[in-house]
Amino acid sequence: MKNIMLPTPHKILRVLKETNAEYTFRVEYDGETDHGQFFQLSIPKIGEAPISVSGKGEGYVEFTIRKIGRLTNGIFGLEEGDNLFMRGPYGKAFPVEDFKGKNLVVICGGTGMAPVKTTLNYFLENRAEIENVYLIAGFKDINSVLFTEDLEKYAESFNTVKTLDNSSAPGFETGMVTAHIGKIPFADFDDYNVVIVGPPAMMHFAALECLKWGAAEEKIWVSFERKMSCAVGKCGHCKINETYVCLEGPVFNYTKAKELFD
Amino acid sequence: MMISKENARRRAEIYRFLSRCYKVEIDGKTLSAMKNMSFPAAEGKLGEGYAMLRSYLDSCGENAIEELAVDYARVFLAAGSADGAAAIPCESVYASPAKIYMQESWEEVCAEYARFGMAKADGYDDLMEDHLALELEFMAYLAEKGEYAAQKSFLEKHLSNWVGSFAADIDKYARCSFYKAIGRITEGFIALDAQLLAAVEKGDLEVSRSFSVRNERMSNILAKLRENYHVYAPMRFTKRGPKGKDLIRYGEIKELTDIVYKEKSNFSPKECIYPVSQTLFRFDAQDCTVQEKDDDKGIIIICRACDINAFRRLDNIFLNNGEADLFYGRMREKVKFILLECRESFENCFCASMGTNKATGYSAAMRIDDICALMEICDEELLPYFLDEVPIEFAPEFVKENPRKANIPAIERDKLGEICKMEFWNKYDDECIACGGCSTVCPGCSCFDTVDVIYDETSMEGERRRVWSSCMLRDFTQTAGGGMARKTQGANMRFKTLHKIYDYCRRFGGEHMCVGCGRCIDRCPKGIDFLDTINSFAEALEK
Repeated sequence: MKNIMLPTPHKILRVLKETNAEYTFRVEYDGETDHGQFFQLSIPKIGEAPISVSGKGEGYVEFTIRKIGRLTNGIFGLEEGDNLFMRGPYGKAFPVEDFKGKNLVVICGGTGMAPVKTTLNYFLENRAEIENVYLIAGFKDINSVLFTEDLEKYAESFNTVKTLDNSSAPGFETGMVTAHIGKIPFADFDDYNVVIVGPPAMMHFAALECLKWGAAEEKIWVSFERKMSCAVGKCGHCKINETYVCLEGPVFNYTKAKELFD
Repeated sequence: MMISKENARRRAEIYRFLSRCYKVEIDGKTLSAMKNMSFPAAEGKLGEGYAMLRSYLDSCGENAIEELAVDYARVFLAAGSADGAAAIPCESVYASPAKIYMQESWEEVCAEYARFGMAKADGYDDLMEDHLALELEFMAYLAEKGEYAAQKSFLEKHLSNWVGSFAADIDKYARCSFYKAIGRITEGFIALDAQLLAAVEKGDLEVSRSFSVRNERMSNILAKLRENYHVYAPMRFTKRGPKGKDLIRYGEIKELTDIVYKEKSNFSPKECIYPVSQTLFRFDAQDCTVQEKDDDKGIIIICRACDINAFRRLDNIFLNNGEADLFYGRMREKVKFILLECRESFENCFCASMGTNKATGYSAAMRIDDICALMEICDEELLPYFLDEVPIEFAPEFVKENPRKANIPAIERDKLGEICKMEFWNKYDDECIACGGCSTVCPGCSCFDTVDVIYDETSMEGERRRVWSSCMLRDFTQTAGGGMARKTQGANMRFKTLHKIYDYCRRFGGEHMCVGCGRCIDRCPKGIDFLDTINSFAEALEK
């Protein structure tokens, strides 16, 4: 038996400031990761938390981290060349193989864009492998907008709607993501998948809105964010009913997700 | 019928007696000791041999020692025989076609001795390892050790094969009836013993596995057990409980009287292998290193049926839910349970409702009173510690019924959404103070947080520990951003209740997580009675 709670050190290659509160850390990593998986990141003496992979490339993975807790504040003190301790990857991924050759709708709110970014990047680079991509990216206000450069690239290849909850700005619509779901031509799709990632309430209402506009439950995929102290099915924090989000999630089909009651 | 230690001792005595007869000539002391022996009635060769020996001993004269020495030399050493014809007491001579020493059977016998860490002692240079005296001596040793399988195979592979022909040769070459008698006794006894060992193997005869052990003798046994095991049992920690009361929790015992058996323990035995706080690894700025295990000793946990059953729940979480957990796994594999018999329910127990009143798979069972312990030993590895004790008939009893009973509701999965919204849970918003005490005392609760501890403020050296947690703590589901999946104590109580009597069973199958020990009821400072929760929830559900 090995110590499944033991992290290993990985060198930080680059720190990119996304907003005042959100940085992307590029970290040395040689292994595989699948779209939507996460790692347990830790800084010894501060603690550990599950963070989704927001980008990947030859020899590295990226994590986009919001400065909100004790751990993330600690991570913000790190610089290039410092070590980040991590273990993983963990969790079930988005079924990207199944997405191929079909339309893809991606609805995300705030940092909820992080776990779907590797999927979007994959289809950006392999545009022929997917039909149309519809992206609705919602942010609280102009200061919270993440991945500006990525969004510009997505807009060139995908039907992209950028929206701010209550304010307006050039290039942005106004309103919650749910206000824009009606623009997606579900009725015209031969086949499609919908990915929704964001805060729990946003995912809940966005899914209902998609259903209202004719999407089928089994076509919708969501990703849950939960407190986890182990990510390996032991600590109990992420459990919902009989389901362990770390083992069976964080990506769930909506038919399963709607049966999970907190 | 049972074979007792006494029986094994007597058989060893006979083997030693026969061994003595073949080892060297009979001396005066041995002869007079034999004259005082009484021989039991027996059938066949054995009975014949006993009768012949009795009659020789009763009638032999003053020159018997000399007469026997001459016969010994003639029969066993081939003295005075022109062609070497004699009864040579060596297996190789009988087992090899060419009738010569140190053949295959000699090698096998040496190997078998070595398997038990034995070899020929100094001073026996003139006896080969497969000399009858040594083979019989080895049987005596095995008999005393209680090595029944080894005895049976040694008889089958060695002694039984050649002792018949050997005894016939004695008959041929001996002049006095003494050695003829000894030959018959040897042949007859070995045949009888082979039957007995076959019966033991078949299970017709059992080695006695139940014993009565007086307190003071138990102290010696515990001392011996403690050389190889950490022995945990419920103990009293004076004034360490809430409000200055005593706390009964698991600790390493030294005496039988350390065990608190008349009361329910406040804490469960889970802490013996899943401590409240446990180091997962040490770290510095550069790397993390695994915490090595403490020692190689085994672990004995003396606990009740409900708690033994609770360990199966912990096993599922730590070993069968995703990859196995190193820290729990390496302790768990060393555990032997000694069932502490519960014949009557304590206050708030509802084990019978949860099917945990009975346990299986324990290494031993124990009934204690103020004078002694009755032990049933089920594990071969524990048996040697008890073989000197008084054999008795004892099998543990189990609680059949509790005064309080649980009515576990049948929940349909598609009703779960409605169940979660039930008004029923709201009362716990005010009642529960989120202390988490119910989880602390629960034998099945396994949730934990991780905490980093540094050794001094300025350094990066420290360790990560896991510390028991509880789904009843307010921030149990709180993420770094402040999001919280369950926001009220009512929601937490609903989560816990469903986990204990629905979710766990749905995931792992067969049984519920709650074992009905009632410790959470005993512990709750607000008087929340979990059995009431279950029963009134079942009632609310029916409406």
